[in-house]
Amino acid sequence: MIESGEKERLKELLRERLIECGWRDELKAQCRAFTRKKGRANITVDDLVRTITPKGRAMVPDNVKAELLQRIRTFLLSDALWP
Amino acid sequence: MGSKHKLRWAAEGYKPCQHLLAYRLKHGAESFRVLQKCLRAGGTPGRACIKREEKEVPRCASCGRAHGRLYACLLCATIGCWSPPEAPHARLHAQTAPGHDLAVDVDRAELFCCACSDQVYDPDFDRAVIGAQSAPLLGGTAKSYEKEHPINGKDAADCVKRRRGAEYKPWVPTPGEQLALRQGSTPLKEDESLPSGLRGLNNLGNTCFMNSVLQALLHTPPLRNYFLSDRHNRAICQRRAPHLCLGCDMDTIFSAAFSGERTPYSPAQFLYSWWRHAANLAGYEQQDAHEFFISTVDGIHANSGTTSPRARHSQGGRAGDVDCRCIVHRVFSGLLRSDVTCTVCGFTSTTYDPCVDISLDLEPDIGTEKLFVDPVLNGESGGRSSRAASSAFSASTLLGCLDRFTRPERLGANEKFFCQRCQTRQESIKQMSVRKLPLVLCFHIKRFEHSSTRNTSRKVDRYVQFPFFLDMLPYLSSSIVRSRHGNRLLSVDSEETGLPSMHSPFSSEFELFAVVTHSGKLDSGHYVCFLRLSGRWYKCDDAWVTRVSEDVVRASQGYMLYYVQKTLSYKASDLLPSSTPDILDKNGKHGGYSCVSGLPSMVNGV
Repeated sequence: MIESGEKERLKELLRERLIECGWRDELKAQCRAFTRKKGRANITVDDLVRTITPKGRAMVPDNVKAELLQRIRTFLLSDALWP
Repeated sequence: MGSKHKLRWAAEGYKPCQHLLAYRLKHGAESFRVLQKCLRAGGTPGRACIKREEKEVPRCASCGRAHGRLYACLLCATIGCWSPPEAPHARLHAQTAPGHDLAVDVDRAELFCCACSDQVYDPDFDRAVIGAQSAPLLGGTAKSYEKEHPINGKDAADCVKRRRGAEYKPWVPTPGEQLALRQGSTPLKEDESLPSGLRGLNNLGNTCFMNSVLQALLHTPPLRNYFLSDRHNRAICQRRAPHLCLGCDMDTIFSAAFSGERTPYSPAQFLYSWWRHAANLAGYEQQDAHEFFISTVDGIHANSGTTSPRARHSQGGRAGDVDCRCIVHRVFSGLLRSDVTCTVCGFTSTTYDPCVDISLDLEPDIGTEKLFVDPVLNGESGGRSSRAASSAFSASTLLGCLDRFTRPERLGANEKFFCQRCQTRQESIKQMSVRKLPLVLCFHIKRFEHSSTRNTSRKVDRYVQFPFFLDMLPYLSSSIVRSRHGNRLLSVDSEETGLPSMHSPFSSEFELFAVVTHSGKLDSGHYVCFLRLSGRWYKCDDAWVTRVSEDVVRASQGYMLYYVQKTLSYKASDLLPSSTPDILDKNGKHGGYSCVSGLPSMVNGV
């Protein structure tokens, strides 16, 4: 799926949906709050990723998940000729 | 490394890590320039990533994984993965190859120090990324960008793959143009005490209907901006002789109104052109301002030069309006949704109709009401009295009228609708809602009632209270449909509902900026327009323009109300130097013909 470029397309779609539903803005706010709490100098990218990832995963709306799953399913079924 | 560079870091309050410092000392900004060639704009706007072939997938050199964060070493371009808690191969590379600490995130174009395990920042790196992102937009080379922002004074090579958009060239007037500029322009008179564009319009013979609507149009922000930026004028107008273009005449009026002259202007040419356009309304009799508005919009549209055949109105319908790109439709055109539901099987038929305004009925007197499905509305319709006490003098509100407009209405027994599912005519319920909001909303209060049975017309003088700020959210199709279905999410996504998406600059909030009022009887009355300019209200009574207080506007008998999207109304400074006191009665009504000082004496007579 990666090599056909489908992953990139799905990633783009996901990005678009998450922006539309406000997920990105909420998460941005969370990151800012976290950074402010820790202090700008005391934070690394890894910290941020480690802390925010579970929150972000939980905040994805169900309809977005459903849509992406649907598309992946369709793709896998259509590409049934897997060597 | 220049002290200038160190200063830039200090200005941001940023302390670079030792590895970055060492790197800069040794290599300068050379590798950043090379890197710029390898970057391109990424998925979302504002992002950049490393260039790759269509099917190429970047993989870690050590373990081959392709997901997670991948970093490419700045010096040798080795790709290493970075996904703690597993051993990050990017850091291993930095450890085994000293000096190779710095890397670039492959998908995000962020500078990363593998030794410190954190992102680092460098102004030259940022410049390289911006250069890579904007080069295609400059439609030429990154060189032009580089000339203004040189990286250590040398040019960067261009990394353009394809041209996008027009190339930007600064405009320098030719000597001929300079001469024309000098000869053809007059400086605007700086009159700080009055807002620009405020000018009385002479009554040319019962033309107050035209004057009031013209005043409102003159100060409709998007329309004003369009004409003042010279987007339509005699020179570029495509209308051939005889030259009767309402757009051109509109442009003339805009030039006259905003010229700085304060003596009243006579819009005779416009009147004549409008007579030619709306031949059935020509003559010096009084006309309806709303009819004038509609026919003017139509006239400007017809002359807008749109070549799309859809934009021409077919008989009866104007299906192309929503997509029409002429200025009046871009400003005023909205979309109304009408749902007709069969009471027997529940099948709903939905149609969309474009509109340039919304005509609202006033509540009828008792005895002529249609049956409603929702008996009681609360909240919004504050000013409405109960039906039992209703009389011709009961107060109404604009919100109440909007509630009525969007209320589910049972169509009578003699208006049965053909239901597709039942395949027969059934009684049905109809509900209106707004599918797409225009930039400028025009509400028309139907005050002129024509009774076909008695073949008479009459005017309803009932006062309608209107808000200065209006949120149309409850009247949008999305809200109406959602409340009908009980807040279930499935059928309503943001595309369908016309709701503003996260990135849309438009919202559902509106601000009142013009009110056209009618006073008097049906066939002998007078139109006056109230305008809000720079936070102040002005009354435009033909040639007489005076400043009035908000309360006067609130108490007026609104006939046409113009609301503009809040995001479009610029907050001009409210601090106009008021050199003159306001000349108002204690009731707030303007007595006689008092004028704001500074306006020279007006033309007398109408």
